[in-house]
Amino acid sequence: MRLTNLLFSRVGKYSKDYSNLPDSYIKRAMEQVYWKNPKGPQYRPNAVVQRKKFHFDTERPWSAQFRQENSPNRHHKKIFVEPIKEWSFFRGDRVEVLVGKDKGKQGIVKQIIQERNWVLVEGLNCELKKLGDDKEFAGVYVQSEKPLLVTSEVSLVDPSDFATTGFEWRFTESGERVRVSTRTGRIIPTPPSAEETIDYKTKSTYKEQPKDTVADDVTEVTFEPRLATFEMDLMDKMGIKEDRVPPKSFWY
Amino acid sequence: MSSFANLIITRGISTSCVRHGKRNFKKFSLFNKRGSRQYKEAQRNNPEPDIPIYKRGLRDTGFYNEGKYVHVPEKVPELIVPDLTGFKLKPYVSYKTPDVVQSEFTAEDLFNVVYAPKIAQDLKEGKLNNDGTPLEPSAEEKLTKEDAYNRARQTGSDIF
Repeated sequence: MRLTNLLFSRVGKYSKDYSNLPDSYIKRAMEQVYWKNPKGPQYRPNAVVQRKKFHFDTERPWSAQFRQENSPNRHHKKIFVEPIKEWSFFRGDRVEVLVGKDKGKQGIVKQIIQERNWVLVEGLNCELKKLGDDKEFAGVYVQSEKPLLVTSEVSLVDPSDFATTGFEWRFTESGERVRVSTRTGRIIPTPPSAEETIDYKTKSTYKEQPKDTVADDVTEVTFEPRLATFEMDLMDKMGIKEDRVPPKSFWY
Repeated sequence: MSSFANLIITRGISTSCVRHGKRNFKKFSLFNKRGSRQYKEAQRNNPEPDIPIYKRGLRDTGFYNEGKYVHVPEKVPELIVPDLTGFKLKPYVSYKTPDVVQSEFTAEDLFNVVYAPKIAQDLKEGKLNNDGTPLEPSAEEKLTKEDAYNRARQTGSDIF
């Protein structure tokens, strides 16, 4: 696989953070292997024919809808995505919409789709979809947010005066990297909901489940250094005594 | 020259299959359902078939002696499961747990635990010879290289 292909077809970190799914699962759920060498010493490993280019949309890469959009023999036009040096929009950020019918309104970032430089802003830039209408029934309208480009269609809001601002990443005196408003010089703090996943709001407020090992038990150090090998330790524990000395052996 | 005149160029059609149907059987895994009916019958009736009957990784708990199966109790697998009463670790780690960063435990660390306190105490109390050897060596200090090597090998370990 070409390095560029690998780099550009990857799912962005911030678009999968909220799901709290392991990378191995996302890889498995996404991959479409058409042919793979069987296992065995006579076959070259890693010889695999699989889909390399994926079309990323609002559907999450591990979902069935994504699989349907990227089903075999279904190809999409190449989409050019402006490379961003560092992702700076997080879940819970207050942003102002710069385009569309909600132009000038402020809202909270609800979802990040990093592969397309998109964010979904809660309740803004929505579309209405009519579902389930037929001859007798008028159907229901479902409202859903349309994605907005972070490069040109939304702008971060300075928390001190609630007005749009440019920003840059700077270091604080304690060495922490923060976003700073270029207009007022105020820090734009990363919202706590950036840490939020489907399993917990923040790590510190996570409610431990019966099968979770608690922190004290995980961090407890039970190892006592002794002048003995692992096997000697075991023999001590199980009360096995051995007086015979094995004969010397030599390697030539 | 006359033989040249009689030469008639013809094209033949080979009616035998490629390489007489011989295949590189290293390439094919022949599981129980693969192969012709004759082959499967031969496999069934042969007490010691050339290609062993695939049992999905299951091992026999006995052997065949003159066509009769002999059960060997020692071949029955026995699972030895440790008693986990009072064991605090569970399948998962809580998200609340902070990241644990530990340095590697080196030979120097072991020396600091086993030998260093005794040496420091001896130095304080003046119980060291001029060449730095202890006047009253502890059990660990008496241990020679040979003894330590033998002790590790007495476990039956083959790490050396």
